[in-house]
Amino acid sequence: MQQDVLLRMTDITKTFPGVKALDHVSLDLERGTVHALMGENGAGKSTLMKCLFGIYSKDSGKIELEGREINFKNSREALDNGVAMVHQELNQALKRTVMDNIWLGRYPKKGGVMVDERRMYKDTMAVFEELEIHVDPRRVMSTMPVSQRQMVEIAKAVSYNSKVIVFDEPTSSLTEEEVEHLFRIIDMLRSRGIGIIYISHKMAEIKRISDTITVMRDGANVATRPADELEVNDIIRLMVGRELTNQFPPKTNVPGEVYLKVQDLSGQYSLLRDVSFEARRGEVLGLAGLDGSGRTETLECIFGVATRKSGAVTLDGKPCRNRNPRESIKNGFSLLTEERRATGIFSILNVRENTVIASLKKHLRAGFILSKASMRKDTQWSIDAMRTKTPSQETKMRSLSGGNQQKVIIGRWLLTDPEVLLLDEPTRGIDVGAKYEIYQLILDLASRGKTVLVVSSEMPELLGICDRILVMSGGRLAGEVDAKNTTQEQIMTLAAKYV
Amino acid sequence: MKKILALLLALTMVFSLGAAAFAEEEVDVSGLKVGVFWYAFSDPFLSTVRASLNEQLEEAGIAYDDFDANNTQATQLEQVQTAVTNGYNVLVVNLVTSGSADAAEQILQAAGDLPVIFFNRAVEGDGEEHTVLDEHENISFIGTDAPEAGHMQGKMIGEFLVENYDDIDLNKDGSISYAMFMGDAANVEAIYRTQYGVEDANAVLAENDKPELVYFNESNTDKYQLDPNGAWSNAAAFDFMSTNLAEYSEGNGNMIELVIANNDDMALGAIAALQAAGYNMGDGESTKIPVFGVDATQVAQDAIAADQMTGTVKQDNVGMASAITGTLKGIAAGDAMADAVAAVAESDDMFSVAEGFANKLYVAYAPFTGE
Amino acid sequence: MNGYLKRKTEEYRSLDSADKRRYWIDGLLNNALYILMAAFIIFTAVVNSNFLSASAIANVLTLAAASLPMALGIGGCIVLTGTDLSGGRVFGLAAAMSAAFLQNRAATKLIFEHLPNTTGPWIIAVLALVMLAGAVIGLVNGFFVAKFSLHPFIVTLATQLITYGVILMFFQINGNGGGPISNVAKLFKDAVSGPVIRIESKNVAIPWYVVYAFALVLIMWFVWNKTTFGKNMFAVGSNPEAARVSGVNVFRTTVTVHTLAGALYGFAGFVEAARLGSITASTGLNNECDAIAACVIGGVSFVGGTGNIGGIVVGVFVLRIIFVALNMLGINPNLQFIIKGGIILAACSLDMRKYLARK
Repeated sequence: MQQDVLLRMTDITKTFPGVKALDHVSLDLERGTVHALMGENGAGKSTLMKCLFGIYSKDSGKIELEGREINFKNSREALDNGVAMVHQELNQALKRTVMDNIWLGRYPKKGGVMVDERRMYKDTMAVFEELEIHVDPRRVMSTMPVSQRQMVEIAKAVSYNSKVIVFDEPTSSLTEEEVEHLFRIIDMLRSRGIGIIYISHKMAEIKRISDTITVMRDGANVATRPADELEVNDIIRLMVGRELTNQFPPKTNVPGEVYLKVQDLSGQYSLLRDVSFEARRGEVLGLAGLDGSGRTETLECIFGVATRKSGAVTLDGKPCRNRNPRESIKNGFSLLTEERRATGIFSILNVRENTVIASLKKHLRAGFILSKASMRKDTQWSIDAMRTKTPSQETKMRSLSGGNQQKVIIGRWLLTDPEVLLLDEPTRGIDVGAKYEIYQLILDLASRGKTVLVVSSEMPELLGICDRILVMSGGRLAGEVDAKNTTQEQIMTLAAKYV
Repeated sequence: MKKILALLLALTMVFSLGAAAFAEEEVDVSGLKVGVFWYAFSDPFLSTVRASLNEQLEEAGIAYDDFDANNTQATQLEQVQTAVTNGYNVLVVNLVTSGSADAAEQILQAAGDLPVIFFNRAVEGDGEEHTVLDEHENISFIGTDAPEAGHMQGKMIGEFLVENYDDIDLNKDGSISYAMFMGDAANVEAIYRTQYGVEDANAVLAENDKPELVYFNESNTDKYQLDPNGAWSNAAAFDFMSTNLAEYSEGNGNMIELVIANNDDMALGAIAALQAAGYNMGDGESTKIPVFGVDATQVAQDAIAADQMTGTVKQDNVGMASAITGTLKGIAAGDAMADAVAAVAESDDMFSVAEGFANKLYVAYAPFTGE
Repeated sequence: MNGYLKRKTEEYRSLDSADKRRYWIDGLLNNALYILMAAFIIFTAVVNSNFLSASAIANVLTLAAASLPMALGIGGCIVLTGTDLSGGRVFGLAAAMSAAFLQNRAATKLIFEHLPNTTGPWIIAVLALVMLAGAVIGLVNGFFVAKFSLHPFIVTLATQLITYGVILMFFQINGNGGGPISNVAKLFKDAVSGPVIRIESKNVAIPWYVVYAFALVLIMWFVWNKTTFGKNMFAVGSNPEAARVSGVNVFRTTVTVHTLAGALYGFAGFVEAARLGSITASTGLNNECDAIAACVIGGVSFVGGTGNIGGIVVGVFVLRIIFVALNMLGINPNLQFIIKGGIILAACSLDMRKYLARK
């Protein structure tokens, strides 16, 4: 491969009050290659990209596109110059249609002011056909699952005829099959000479797809090497700066007697039909399946977020109607939601407020006064127990990294003294070091006799921490496997059972 | 603070007495700082009073400021409280909640010892007479006898009907059907006008052996249509009247034969609706439904002159203003409030002191039919 | 079409009994507003047969036409999850200006003494002027909303007060002393509120402004559905961040929506001047409330990004039908408030239910 640098970022420095977020970072993206950008959360990947797209202005350094110096003031300018980004947190006009979203900001015009709907439809179909995406351009975004919305986002980036496309955690909401689809798309884009910056935490993916890997740590370049020169363990070592001997902590929990029973659970508005299973005290029970197979819906239905049509949930022999979250919390359940930003955190409130929100009653004095001392104590316990990295309890939630936010939310639920923890994608968008800590937390909880249900799209994760794994397919339970002696292939076979 | 004010006022009075000794008519008014508190700047009739009053006060050299309560009693109370601390020494108040003794008492409490002249909107409701005006030394009321406009409108309507009965009775059923537009459900003047505008007309009809007026819509037991915003607005009357005319017409033999409105604005709204249906064009050809209002605003006078409207009751804005100015001059000259009021009553036939009161001055209404 | 029906029937057959019941309940609730209105119209017509007479229908049409332009303007603000409290006052100012500029030159009391005689071009010039005045106030609204991310509630509350002050000053011009402005030129009245159709025998008269309102509905439908601006407006209302990232000029879109709204209030005020012939300082008071109510009844939701012109038209008609029907039934005015409030509450709850009933 000859040296043909498409995008060159040289000595980028960016300082926030008190923090050096980027310290002379350089990155060369060659034409027709996939360049992986790795690093723990807070390593400076997002900041670097924000400097590229003009969301932040860099303090010093130089960015060149095809040898020409550029200085984008906003995303639109970047788009117009052929630099696009597929965002990790989907940012879409949900009440509008697919094609409205794709052509947003540059609708094809007819007669000056009119929008040419027919051309919009045709152009959308053309892009979709090219990318083998099967979505009706006239469908309203909010009626589609996250994975399809992500595909639309990718199609949008492609439709700009971009020279450079940045993928930020593109697979975090995709199933294995959809990931394969995405990789086919990326291969195609690469063969057309497009330069791709690929940000992800998933080692296996990175190893598979990328040509070059740049690892960042604490706002600086640690290494840039061809992908085939780096092994997974090398990458982890570079990222965290220490050896991580194992991706998963040793399993220490011992399942006890049957505790939670779910019988013939069906959802009123979801596809969930007749789901029955049992879970034991001290057990980590995994829920696998394709996206939209009913994993999330099962948790939501147990917790009373989604309406139960029929079926029974019993805890320790006691029936739990769980008509709404309040009732469920009272019955000893807790739910870590899938979309952290939308339904998990209160971004403008601080860490303490986010921690104690579900257990405020514990801090009441004289019936109506909230004791600050008591809240401070609980929050400190949570920060220590989760090893949350936060400057203070008063830090606003939105300024923490994803992993730390997740820890705060888990801490929040632990403070309600739950017996059953329902965790929906607990490690999504979290870097390797933090993932390990969350696995450790889950196993610790199980060791203390809690029942933990984990939904995850990452099969190695389920295999690594669960005792048993339930596989869902098409809203039904397709089977159950023992985590110790099953394979990814076996799970995939079950997941395809009712599709 | 109050003491200093009282002292100032006393000093002014001494000076003005001295001045009066030299020149009989010329009163020294330089000590007065008058706050005039209006219920709403947007009221068309009161706007004309305000224009006259401002003109007269400027001519007399009296320092004054206007305040707009924007139809909120609480705002007015706060304005009075602020004005008292800001050195105003005579308050002229156009109460927002017309006919509320409680509201008036609150204003008086805020005013302390300062003289207060209430005007236009009543301070004592039905059955509350003497509860405010007799209880305070230094206050007076200048306005109209609340029921008078209603009585006058009713009498004018009755007399007009008796004279033109057969022309007005379009469907020749022997009785006259009417529509009534009420300005504000909480205003005593509106209540009196709604009541007496019909009752007194019926009295005149009865004297002449004619049947009573019939409200056009028998299913409406209120026998009026009310501006939902309490704003006496022409838009409300227009919407009501257009709706009425869609159902009641000559073709159906149930046309509304008479329109009575609490004020001229509403009367004009009704006329606009009639004109849209081809009535009251003032062209001598179209049928003219008699429409009566109150206030005799310039626009209403023009409409009467153009043969589109029949009658209104004149409330004299200039007279009202000169009564207030006269009373203020009396106060400046050191007269007791009752004396100042009596002196104004003497000055013109238009004014009279209300029976049983020493400090309540009526400005007379006059029927206005453009003749 | 046939295939669609067949598929629907099959889908329905495959449901179990509980789901079938729910299917009907959902169907009823999602269309409850229309069902209630139909029942209400039938009830009124049975009690009072005049309610469905040609003249009564013409009256509803006429009343609705007068309040349509304002609702069309405010609808855009609601799509942006905002609102516009200044609407009524802008309407009042435009009405006062129209009346003052188009007075009968022979009138005894003129606001402006040196103006040309009322001719066609002059009427159009005044219309342009009052729409411009409305647009300027809308521009101010939009600027502060977009530039400083202030909630429209605050900004338009401020401009409402400012505009009212301007109105009060306007009524003082040339010694008018706050009195009504009236005596508008006949040509102006004829052109706006004169009849375009008149059937004497049926007691029906349709004024020109019904035609204008109809044209406005078409124009606004086009603007909302067929132009880049319309699409951008919905995108900004649905997710301003996504719009910004996609390069939509959020600032310009917001400002344009408010400016357009202001211009429409200007148009509505212009019509009002001809319709009533005499304008006072309180003209337009609370008009924005009815316009907002019409929009939300018609499904323009405060959650942003949803709504359509057809819904606004339905909302305006619902309010006017209620007004006319309650009057024809002779219902006490106090009760009318309660009924109107109840309908707004019910309509909005049912509308939101569509968004809520997902899980």
